[in-house]
Amino acid sequence: MVASRLLKEAPGTERGPHWLLLAPNLAWLLLFMVGPLSLLAVISFKTYEPGRGILNMWQLGNYAKFLTDPFYLGVLGSTLVTGACVTALTLLFGFPLAYTLAHTRGWRRSALYIGVLMPLLTSAVVRTFGWMILLGNNGFINRTLLQWAWIDHPLRLMYNLSGVVIALTEVLLPFMVLALDAALLNIDPSVVEAARNVGGSRMRVFFSITLPLAVPGIVSGSILVFSLSISAFVTPSLIGGAQVRLMPTVIYQQAMALLDWPFGAAIAFIMLVAIALLLIPALTLVERRSRLA
Amino acid sequence: MLRVVNTVILIYLLAPIIVVVATAFGTSPYPVFPPVGLTLKWFDRFLSNPDLVRSTELSAALSFVSTLCATTIGTLAALALVRHRFRAKVVISALLLSPILFPTIVLGLALLVAFTRIGLAQTFAGLVAAHTVLITPFVIRLVMASLADLDGSIEEAARNLGSGRLRTFFLITLPIIRPGLLAGALFGFIISFDELVVTLFLAGPGLQTLPIRIFSSIEYSSDPTISAISSCLIATWIIFGVPVYMRFLAVQRA
Repeated sequence: MVASRLLKEAPGTERGPHWLLLAPNLAWLLLFMVGPLSLLAVISFKTYEPGRGILNMWQLGNYAKFLTDPFYLGVLGSTLVTGACVTALTLLFGFPLAYTLAHTRGWRRSALYIGVLMPLLTSAVVRTFGWMILLGNNGFINRTLLQWAWIDHPLRLMYNLSGVVIALTEVLLPFMVLALDAALLNIDPSVVEAARNVGGSRMRVFFSITLPLAVPGIVSGSILVFSLSISAFVTPSLIGGAQVRLMPTVIYQQAMALLDWPFGAAIAFIMLVAIALLLIPALTLVERRSRLA
Repeated sequence: MLRVVNTVILIYLLAPIIVVVATAFGTSPYPVFPPVGLTLKWFDRFLSNPDLVRSTELSAALSFVSTLCATTIGTLAALALVRHRFRAKVVISALLLSPILFPTIVLGLALLVAFTRIGLAQTFAGLVAAHTVLITPFVIRLVMASLADLDGSIEEAARNLGSGRLRTFFLITLPIIRPGLLAGALFGFIISFDELVVTLFLAGPGLQTLPIRIFSSIEYSSDPTISAISSCLIATWIIFGVPVYMRFLAVQRA
């Protein structure tokens, strides 16, 4: 949306396609992104045989293998469930924070803002490392709970899906907060004020005015977090270990440990299709809303 | 009520950072939180380990070269997108910005497959090519933001007064976009320095970047040296990143 605002014609706009300015960037993307992805698409229809390499034979076997084998369907299922959980949790935790952020001014806003930015500027590996220290059997959380005698034996928080969800939600929360904050700042305060003046209670105004007007931010934040969470590799592979199988970790394992690039490629494209299938309806929704507004 | 909720959420959000920094100063041989004792020996371990220092230098060189490439091609593209009128602008800008959202695990595999064929896999040049793809959109967005703040009439005036295209660019346009350019370069550098997923596919034995060292060492064991390295990164990025981020947001909101 920012991009479309920026694309608006400004005075001094020159006519004619200035391909010379665009050429270096377009060539770079063609060579190092579009080209390789096309090659990956081709590879996904080939066969890999251990010892013989990639055979030059077109087939749909890799896709069929993923979409019929119960093991791989389970991987697809847990990837989508993880994405849905992480998206719901970031919405739940992100909304109060974004609401306060959008309604605070001056140094308080800056302080809160830095709190949200600090994790964004810290790499996912480093933050996942922090979660490994916290979540382990002998980690801070388990030791504290044992000390307070809330539990008898350590909770299993590492090497399972719940650990991955706890850490991944934290890793992606700043993206949701920033998306929601932008949407909430866009709401005209006089609308909320008017609703309050005609006698709407705080709760009622929130649910019938603020929340519906924040829908574009909720949708764009959810799209972002969902696609980042189902394609996340670092946090699931470190927190989940070998026990948790999600699409990105299976792609990596197929490609790097088993050298089966064709099958890894097929899983990659199934993941892209899954993201696209969820993106398109969401984007149409936002588009329709912004046209009405 | 809301304040309590927000405090809890902020603690959750900042917990891993606090833990990593705190464990870098503890004396126990593995990272425990809360830390026991106070020592700087893990920082010394980091700085006196030649492998880790070499990785830091490699990461810095890789980010520097990638940022240079990205700033050049990204600034040119941003100029075309803001100052010129042409068909398919929406499609082209979507394509140019797409690497921000594209799953890195897929791009990494695609580049591995392609680069193995043309001999760029496990080379420094291959890593630069990949990192540049990932960070150019950030340069484009920030340069576009600073270009949109001012309309093109100043450049037009300069051109009308007889200044050539290159002269206009260096004397008028470049000073206007400088803040966006520097911010884009800074974020590009940070993102490239921290990049792990695509790098894992393309790095060879001699190309162990710092994030790869961190990743492979915490995969099987835990060592406060990693906390020390991470603390250095956290401190550096926050000192440079937060002010620029805040300033840019202030510009956009004004």
